[in-house]
Amino acid sequence: MNKLREIIKHLEAKKVRFADAREHLFRERSICTEDTRVEAITEENVSGVGVKVLWRNGWGYASTSRTDAASLRKTADKALALARHADKSAAAKVELAAEPKHIARFATKIKEDPFGVSVDDAVGILLRSGETILKGKDIIKASSQLVLRNMKKKYANTEGSLIETDVFTVLPQIEATARANGEVKSRHYWPSPMNAGYEYLRSIDFQANAERIAAQAREHCFAKSCETGPATLILDPEHLSLTMHESVGHPTELDRVLGYEESCAGRSFATLDKLGKFRYGSKIVNLVADNTLEGGLASCGYDDEGVECQKWHIVKDGILSGYGVNRELAHKMKMKRANGTTRATKYSDVPITRMPNLYLAPGKKPLSKEQLIADTDSGIYIEGMGSFSIDQMRLNMQFGGDAFWEIKNGRIRGMLKNVIYNAISYEFWRSCDAIADKTAFRRSGFITCGKGDPMQAAQMTHGASPARFRNIMVRRAK
Amino acid sequence: MNKVKTIIEKILKTPVTDHVTICYGRNETQHIRFSNNSVNRENLFKLEEEVKVEVGYEGRTGSYRTNELSEAGIKHAVNQAYEAAKLLPKDPEYMPPVTRKEAAAVKNFKPAFEKVPDGSKYAILRDAFKQLKKAGLNSAGSLSTSPYTTEVYNSSGVRASHSGCTSSFTLTAMTENSSFRDSFISKDFSGYDGKAFISKIIDHTRLSKDPAPLDAGKYTVVLGPSAVEELLLMLLWYNMDAKAIDEGRSALSARRGRRIAHEKIHIYSKPDHPVSLTPFCPEDGMPYIGFDMIRNGRLASPWHSRYYAAKKGVRPTGRFPGSVIFKGTDKPVEKLIAGVENGLYVNSFWYIRLVDLMDGIFTGMTRDGLFRIQDGKLTGSVNNFRFNQSVFDMLLNTTEIGREKGMVFTSIPPITVKEFNFVSKTEF
Repeated sequence: MNKLREIIKHLEAKKVRFADAREHLFRERSICTEDTRVEAITEENVSGVGVKVLWRNGWGYASTSRTDAASLRKTADKALALARHADKSAAAKVELAAEPKHIARFATKIKEDPFGVSVDDAVGILLRSGETILKGKDIIKASSQLVLRNMKKKYANTEGSLIETDVFTVLPQIEATARANGEVKSRHYWPSPMNAGYEYLRSIDFQANAERIAAQAREHCFAKSCETGPATLILDPEHLSLTMHESVGHPTELDRVLGYEESCAGRSFATLDKLGKFRYGSKIVNLVADNTLEGGLASCGYDDEGVECQKWHIVKDGILSGYGVNRELAHKMKMKRANGTTRATKYSDVPITRMPNLYLAPGKKPLSKEQLIADTDSGIYIEGMGSFSIDQMRLNMQFGGDAFWEIKNGRIRGMLKNVIYNAISYEFWRSCDAIADKTAFRRSGFITCGKGDPMQAAQMTHGASPARFRNIMVRRAK
Repeated sequence: MNKVKTIIEKILKTPVTDHVTICYGRNETQHIRFSNNSVNRENLFKLEEEVKVEVGYEGRTGSYRTNELSEAGIKHAVNQAYEAAKLLPKDPEYMPPVTRKEAAAVKNFKPAFEKVPDGSKYAILRDAFKQLKKAGLNSAGSLSTSPYTTEVYNSSGVRASHSGCTSSFTLTAMTENSSFRDSFISKDFSGYDGKAFISKIIDHTRLSKDPAPLDAGKYTVVLGPSAVEELLLMLLWYNMDAKAIDEGRSALSARRGRRIAHEKIHIYSKPDHPVSLTPFCPEDGMPYIGFDMIRNGRLASPWHSRYYAAKKGVRPTGRFPGSVIFKGTDKPVEKLIAGVENGLYVNSFWYIRLVDLMDGIFTGMTRDGLFRIQDGKLTGSVNNFRFNQSVFDMLLNTTEIGREKGMVFTSIPPITVKEFNFVSKTEF
């Protein structure tokens, strides 16, 4: 922390309006397998320091992997020089929302350090899954991926905050590909990625799921095509994670709403004038942002602006109720405090507003997934994630899935194929008429959410109970 | 750099195995992002240096990446890769390090590029903001320069290096209900003509204002170079791996020998193409080569990794090619537009994703400039569309090919395509 304090002291002497400095020590182990071989194993250990400066109304950021005192001073001076350049074209006054000074530490609760376990243990888990998948009939490919991460950060700013965080992440996945009946279909098993220790990996039943996805990949090859037309959909938690990510999480990042992402990630239809009155979903739809969620991929204690992680509603009882807000833009909403969701991926990245952990709150009335299906005369049940695309204002969205089943007279019939559905995002959420209760709640999430320029990949958890959507336009993919 | 080189050479004098490859990379990026006609907080400089080490041990390979560039740090990386390799099962697809003979074609290359002073970059932006504000338009985008060096060393004696610089200015200009985007990409900004670049953007953005409602359907389209690049790279990425083709996991598995594109279409790789800014070799030191991918409308050669090329007895192309060139003509895009009586001009696509692998069907949205073509002229903009389109059909239905535009590691022309399949519209 002393290095960071020195940077801050150096910049305070130059009378900057605000400055902060972050040190990252990032470690990642990634293993990819193909059939019964290790296709790639890589380990990364990268560290460096980033310095952010506000000079009058201009921001500058500079970073370096050289952390000797002279290099850090040079980096701080570069950030200041860039901020001075930016100030010359500043269009508006920068107003930073207040945040209490934090002297704090945060660490993911883990039992077993993933990097303390020999790499052959994880390789064995993945290869055994591959062997099981390959025993399946008509299987032509088994593959898997495991990512283990540890990010240690230190943060200091000119307001006196000194924060240390230590976050561990585990992401496993396996995939089976079958070829039969003139079709090639893949089926995945994605246990939710978690901020957790190696014990999480040990708790997953890969073998049973390897058998299941191998059988379902083949069954998918023999499935009949769906019909084109309006349909009732029941979507599983993993699938809903992707729809809420794209159609709720991104459009409610305030920097997008205000045009800061126009050139890359795009803007948003969920403009500020709609706050508190726009019907985003039906009355049963509650979408909650929660960066305090234990094990959540965005749960890091404090964000990269030194703001404490928080919990708030994005959509409450169907109405647009909040955004992800950084310190610079909080005043646009008359918020006294940012909500702790500004993050940078690497030391060389500028912290930007990132999607929080976001989940669809379970239904309040007792309702299992099975009861939800039994209550549906005709429809399609979709599991997992497939094709996904949405326009830059987050309106026209189209999703596929990983596996599809026909529902007839309240019962699951055979699998379907070639299912994609298309909707305007708020019309989709307004069509939600039932959500299973909390006993059916499952997590999912992502570690490669792209945003920013240069592009940064962030991680966040989502979750839901299975939910039903009426009158959604389904198209046969081919 | 000399210090790192000395350390690497020292380590390779007594390598832990006969398979040690060390790749050193240095990248110095200045990236100025802007929005609302003003530089925003992503106004950054970054110096990134790292080594990637690969160690083979009795048919197994481990790797380790670090930016701890002291002797102890690089030695630690080598040992970590070595220890990881020892723990792995034997890899049936193991390949020894690249030999000097294989690497001989790498051209150690250090292009001349002008160093652009910081002040000049901000001046380019201030000038753009001034013109755009005067035109009543808003803007967002980025201006970036990124000089880099890559050096590859291995225990077989390979020494390869490449330096270069990628510079870009990407600008999206907006009215209250529309937008248009263009980019200037080069090694540096020496050929940048700010007046022409900004005025073209202003003209097209004004034309994009108040998009007229239009129903989805099949239209004749002129696809701008960015739009073609986005779709073509998706198709190649998913389908060109030779092993996947042989294993029946590619759309090309069932299309070998069949027509997959109009016979005029020629897509190839050429590492030293004049507008391509790609390096000459990836991290293993194996040089990128020139080869045909699609020629006379048929698959010419898929992509072969070193392992799979050795198995099949062909030249390795690399898991991915160094560049993708779609051979163009001398026709400017205006000539392609002039040849369309009733259709659409698509400036770029957005959020393209695979819908069906085996039929090569992709979905995505039009973005930042969708114009109506009537009687050979752009007459105004229309609402954006979603497409679900087989890219094979797109290549088969191509009727005209225009002049190439260089875009970092591609050079792609605009094309005219019949019956492009738009399936739904959005609200803007």
